Amino acid sequence: MTTKEEVLEKLSNAVLTYKRNDAIAAANEAIEINVNPVDAINEGLVKGMNIIGDKYGAHEIYLPQVLTAASAMYGALDILLPRIPKADLSDSKTCVTCVVEGDVHDIGKNIVKTMLTAGGYMVTDLGKDISSDDIVKNVESNNIDILCMSTLMTPTMDNMKKTIDIMKETGYRGNCVVTIGGPPTSPSFAEEIGADHRDANAQNCVSWLKTGKE
Amino acid sequence: MNTMTPYERAIGALQGDKVDELPGYPLACAIGRRLLPKKTTLREISTNAKACADSYIMTAEKYKLPYTVSLIDLAIQAADYGAHVRMDEENTAFVDGHLIHSPEDYEKFQPLDPHEGRLGYLIDTNRMIADALYKKSYLAVHIEGPLLALSQSAGAERLFMDMFSDPEPVHKALVNTTETCSRALKAISETKTPGICWNFLWGNYAVLGDAEYKEFEGNDKYAKRLIKETRDLGLGFAIHNCADMPHLDTQIKDFKPDMYSMAYYPLNSSSPSATKVLEGGYADNCVIAGQIDPQLFVRGTPEKMDAAVKDLCQEVKTGLCKRDLDSKWCIASGCEVPPELSTPLESIETFMNAVHKYGKMA
Repeated sequence: MTTKEEVLEKLSNAVLTYKRNDAIAAANEAIEINVNPVDAINEGLVKGMNIIGDKYGAHEIYLPQVLTAASAMYGALDILLPRIPKADLSDSKTCVTCVVEGDVHDIGKNIVKTMLTAGGYMVTDLGKDISSDDIVKNVESNNIDILCMSTLMTPTMDNMKKTIDIMKETGYRGNCVVTIGGPPTSPSFAEEIGADHRDANAQNCVSWLKTGKE
Repeated sequence: MNTMTPYERAIGALQGDKVDELPGYPLACAIGRRLLPKKTTLREISTNAKACADSYIMTAEKYKLPYTVSLIDLAIQAADYGAHVRMDEENTAFVDGHLIHSPEDYEKFQPLDPHEGRLGYLIDTNRMIADALYKKSYLAVHIEGPLLALSQSAGAERLFMDMFSDPEPVHKALVNTTETCSRALKAISETKTPGICWNFLWGNYAVLGDAEYKEFEGNDKYAKRLIKETRDLGLGFAIHNCADMPHLDTQIKDFKPDMYSMAYYPLNSSSPSATKVLEGGYADNCVIAGQIDPQLFVRGTPEKMDAAVKDLCQEVKTGLCKRDLDSKWCIASGCEVPPELSTPLESIETFMNAVHKYGKMA
């Protein structure tokens, strides 16, 4: 009989060795032996993904490896997340990630999503080319704590402002931290449009959220 | 020193000769459509060769630009490979339907005829620009390198994962995207353009390490093949890479371009400043074009632009002096001047005036 510790090790190793199928198998095994899904995520998958994040930050590995490790993590998360009792999620901060309308470049957003997930946040990824109205609708109806918007292109930067403006109009802005990212954005642009933060680096953004806003 | 024409300044810097002032070049591309007598949208810039060419020509003439890099959009080859390209009226054309959903899909990448489709459009446009700007503004025709063309078509995330986990089909496709680039290069060389500007964006440490970049672009089969062919055809050779952590050793010291267009991200401590670039010897044999923040053209006041250009000119002149260089730097935006309607055209004039004012060489 596999022990909890062994399954957690398998989950972590599957991420570290970039093996999605192994991660899925380990997640199923965790369910079979009644490991708490929150433990499986935090002490298995997230532990592995944090090591991947550190290696990426140290330029020991690069984006192809990070994306492949993230794919392994998401494979297991698909199995584990639906099995978490709602009561266990009540303390988790909720985030929405998205690329604003008119833009489909989403690698940066996906890295942020991965690092937020590894950081213990409950992330809803709306995807790319998302209208301001749809972003606000989702954020409000799900009482989201943190909104992370991204764009690579300059003509679509103003859709970040538009989203924040709508949140101000509806009165939800004060309930939600807004961070932005993407090469053309800057801290001064964040200030100009009324966002709380802009970061060039997904891990730094998560650190800022943890130390600066929680 | 006598006042040089913009073209003389461009050539002087490329040759490492003394210049009267540092050349200045905002990457003013699609924003130039606003100089045309008839209202022209970004969509038209990507579809109407005559309007597109006229906008580049008018921009170069109005602002007396020493260089012109014809960066239209990054979805030229992707469209021809069959990816769906979205063209909004006032947004730069981009791919919104990628081609790769399984390893077998990499077989879709077969060498293209550069006289057809959007590559044909690129060549027709640049033929007009090259004719009009011959010996007035040094034209470098912008073209996506083989890895960028593949990532734009395939979807970057999918491609990067396949590069790591299943590289063989990726290499098969890259052989063919390189062949397309080679054919396009030959077609472009039949125009009057003096130069080519390869976009080798993925030579970026935020994305690929040295080993990965060498395997998937920086080798004799791909980029170096194209560089050799560029040289053999007698064309000047520039690289544009606006990434935050470019592979300078590979792309400048190994590839040996005549010009390297790069951006600077001050919030990223690994992004090389002008001083670091100069101290690293990267400008010793290559004109570096950078590194004014393109967002200054949109959101900066004239005072801020003037101050930024003044600071960069000072930094560059100090660095050039330390390396005993007479030129080898172009005060540029490092990435395209944002083409949207909210970018004041006056910002280009402000930029050029500041370069003329602060870029004078003793």
